[in-house]
Amino acid sequence: MATTALHPAVPAYRSGLYEWITTTDHKKIGILYVVNSLLFFFLAGLLALGVRAELAQPKIQFFAPDVYNQLFTMHGTVMIFLFIIPILAGFANYVVPLQIGAPDMAFPRINALSFWMLPLGGILMFTGFFTGGAAAEGWTGYSPLAQRAYSGTGTDLWAVGLILIGTSSILGAVNFLTTIFKMRAPGLTMFRLPILVWTVLVTSVLVLMATPVFTSALIMLFIDRNYGGHFFDPATGGNAILWQNVFWFYSHPAVYVMVLPAMGMVSEILPVFSRKPLFGYKAFVFATAGIGALGFSVWAHHMFTTGSVFLPFFSLMTFLIAVPTGVKMFNWVATLFRGQLIFSTPMLFALGFLTMFLIGGINGAFSAAVPVDFALHDTYWVVAHLHYVLFGGSVFGMFAGLYYWFPKMTGRLLDETLGKIHFVLMFVGFNLTFFPMHMLGLMGMPRRVADYSAAAGWSELNLLATIGGFTIATSMLPFLWNVMISLRNGEPAGDDPWEANTLEWATSSPPPPYNFDHLPEIRSERPLFDLRHGRAGNHA
Amino acid sequence: MFRTTPTRLARVLALAGVAAAVTGCSVIDSFYPPKAATAQGHDIRNLYDIVFLIAAAIFFVVEGLIVYAVIRYRRHPTDTELPPQIHGNNLIEIIWTIIPTVIVAYLFVISWQTLNTVEATSPNPQVHVVAIARRFDWSFQYLGPDGQSLIRGPDGKAVSLPGTMVVPAGQTVHLSLHSPDVIHAFYVPQFLFKRDVVPGKENTFDFMVDATDAGQTFRGQCAELCGIGHQGMSFEVQAKTPTEFDAWLQQQITQAKATPAPAASGAPSPSGSPGASSVTASGPPSAQVTLDLTAKNVAFDKDSLEAPANQPFDIKFTNADQATQHNVDIHKDSPTGAVVFDGEVITGPDSRLYAVNPLPAGKYSFVCKVHPTTMIGTLTVR
Ligand code: HEM
Ligand SMILES: [Cu+2]
Repeated sequence: MATTALHPAVPAYRSGLYEWITTTDHKKIGILYVVNSLLFFFLAGLLALGVRAELAQPKIQFFAPDVYNQLFTMHGTVMIFLFIIPILAGFANYVVPLQIGAPDMAFPRINALSFWMLPLGGILMFTGFFTGGAAAEGWTGYSPLAQRAYSGTGTDLWAVGLILIGTSSILGAVNFLTTIFKMRAPGLTMFRLPILVWTVLVTSVLVLMATPVFTSALIMLFIDRNYGGHFFDPATGGNAILWQNVFWFYSHPAVYVMVLPAMGMVSEILPVFSRKPLFGYKAFVFATAGIGALGFSVWAHHMFTTGSVFLPFFSLMTFLIAVPTGVKMFNWVATLFRGQLIFSTPMLFALGFLTMFLIGGINGAFSAAVPVDFALHDTYWVVAHLHYVLFGGSVFGMFAGLYYWFPKMTGRLLDETLGKIHFVLMFVGFNLTFFPMHMLGLMGMPRRVADYSAAAGWSELNLLATIGGFTIATSMLPFLWNVMISLRNGEPAGDDPWEANTLEWATSSPPPPYNFDHLPEIRSERPLFDLRHGRAGNHA
Repeated sequence: MFRTTPTRLARVLALAGVAAAVTGCSVIDSFYPPKAATAQGHDIRNLYDIVFLIAAAIFFVVEGLIVYAVIRYRRHPTDTELPPQIHGNNLIEIIWTIIPTVIVAYLFVISWQTLNTVEATSPNPQVHVVAIARRFDWSFQYLGPDGQSLIRGPDGKAVSLPGTMVVPAGQTVHLSLHSPDVIHAFYVPQFLFKRDVVPGKENTFDFMVDATDAGQTFRGQCAELCGIGHQGMSFEVQAKTPTEFDAWLQQQITQAKATPAPAASGAPSPSGSPGASSVTASGPPSAQVTLDLTAKNVAFDKDSLEAPANQPFDIKFTNADQATQHNVDIHKDSPTGAVVFDGEVITGPDSRLYAVNPLPAGKYSFVCKVHPTTMIGTLTVR
């Protein structure tokens, strides 16, 4: 498959700014999502470096509490709502129509609208820094701290920004669901869909059911703050715990929105670089659906210490959700077994996902045991846990996807040596930063503190974590350099540089507008494998 | 791969062994919470130990399998044929669904059991304490069997003691949590326990400090973000023997009755009482000297001030803390001495010109009455 039926439609990607601003092509919108999300990733990363710099030693050196609280609030909010959720949506935007053999998303203009709400929402939130301080109540924005009496205009901007971003997600979810249900190529039955498409499908259902709840809660908060509403403020007859319930009713499923598509990417990449099919395709589908369903019954495990939760139920459900997650882990490992593993950069990041997400799953189980959570809740243990899930899981998975689909998006391969340097630096830096946080949490260091006592014995581990944080930042340099030189001089990718399985590799790199001029026959979940090896290969 | 010579490998292993033996203990310890100091904490620690063992086992098995696969199944240049195209196996799927289900069911049952002992409340606890968490300090009231405060000022008002909670070791303490403003959390690492302090809602729990821990002091801290003073919102728990505790309590009761309440230090309502100020804030107009003082990040920008004796002076006070209350009180001698000036409490960002009546030469302290334990400085009048 070195030759291609169509001449690469490179000119379409050279067009001017106007084309990028007005495009409704799902591939360009996908790239816009990815680039925009990476920009916010770097911004939020800088904020995290500020946090780590301040915590490197006891006492206040760089950022006093008023600024420090803004730093971690914006760090968390931006990482979640402007980086990880949208970048995964961006890859889905690019890849899903290609993988199902469709010419575009079902509603291309709505697709463009969903994207453009993101930078707008992000900019609104950041303007808080210039209006007397950005939001500073943590990404969870608990009331009454988020009420007018305790916080300034930054919090209004935060709420309005998030309302825009939430609306964007909801529109995107409708678009994905319609596309997946209505625009699949002939022969592509539901049980032949690539796992990535399945995860995007379940994710979209989660978004559709959970995000409106959060968006409404934000509007209620805005009314509380500006028009004398009394929803969440006990001082005026409201209920502080109500906010936590609606917030987590959204934000726990949102964790799966942040992880499922990354799982989907890894499930595409591991088989390709093991030269084997995914072990247990149907188990994966059921496990994904199971996680999606159970995901709605665990929200209150973030609220075990509030004294307002029926503890045994949420403890049980939280333990149970580990089961489908475990099933996935076993199937991934089984996919590796007896394969012929090729350690290209996407595979390295996918293996990084497996090894690190495993830790994030295991240290989460500690908090499902309610009494243990009484000890660990709101300490640095939780910061360790959430980063092993969101960074060790989602971000490693996202980079696996980035190295994997970059050739499809640009027509050029990324440099393998720089990619491996990036991986090693990030892997080491990540563990240096976040592993010591388990110990800090056990020793009793609460999260969200600008300062700690030198006598507490937390100084060494904090210094280590800061060194790790700056190592992560350093790992971005080879990555950016790689992207820059590869865009110009990278080796041409051809249609299918990885000997992959799914339809996006059947068209040119980058694909022409409307994607395909003809499609291969689809007789299994690996149409391109069938094309290379014939159906016989599938049953060898 | 791994083409290390045996001697080199042995040397590395020996080195690693020595390093592990030296640091081993403390490294292993660091995977565990601190030694528990309460009966409930011991139960939680036992549960933690089981969860940790199971977690470590799963970690080593699964990471081990991944590492094994990575080493064993790397592609060799001679691999031209495809590996066997295995699509799955239903029996295996069922097995590895059931095994984790059994493990989590077991974990759920034991944590439920522990939960029941940790959450159990005694029908007749020996001591009832109320913790008042307020931006950004803690104070404690001691209640009698009738639910009324035992420690009262001469005016009959309940007195709460700032900063330190004193409890009898070996006896059950019933703790109620109150917040007049935002959500805080009562957290003592050595109790292995925390509980949120939610405004508009009373949370309670029982605990019993080990009898052997009498004489110990435990560090506690607010664990729920409550604003810019959050990181400094700490307290102490002091365990005494029951006899010492009773004596201490009696002493507090008589002391409080005798002394006029030091202007609202630690009183539950943030606005405090009008106070026992002998001098009002609306002083004479003709001040010659103006002192500047700013409160930012729950700290004064100066730790000492100087003023002329026997003549009025002004304090230009700026509160730079968004949505946080501060003021300036002047006390004779120490920060807990008699109040000679009581400035209006203002919510930042805001500022006031306080006019202070003439003071005789001597040593004074200035204190924010909202944060009497942390915001303190000395005022020299000469
Ligand atoms: C560049 C690497 C990163 C570093 C060094 C870092 C560091 C930190 C630190 C130290 C905190 C705790 C702050 C505190 O509690 O005072 C934190 C909080 C947080 N981080 Fe990160 N982080 C990184 C990347 C990420 C990523 C990739 C995500 C998500 C995709 C993320 C999501 C969060 C969230 C949600 C919080 C909680 C914020 C809050 O408490 O409101 N971080 N991060
Ligand atoms: Cu607090």
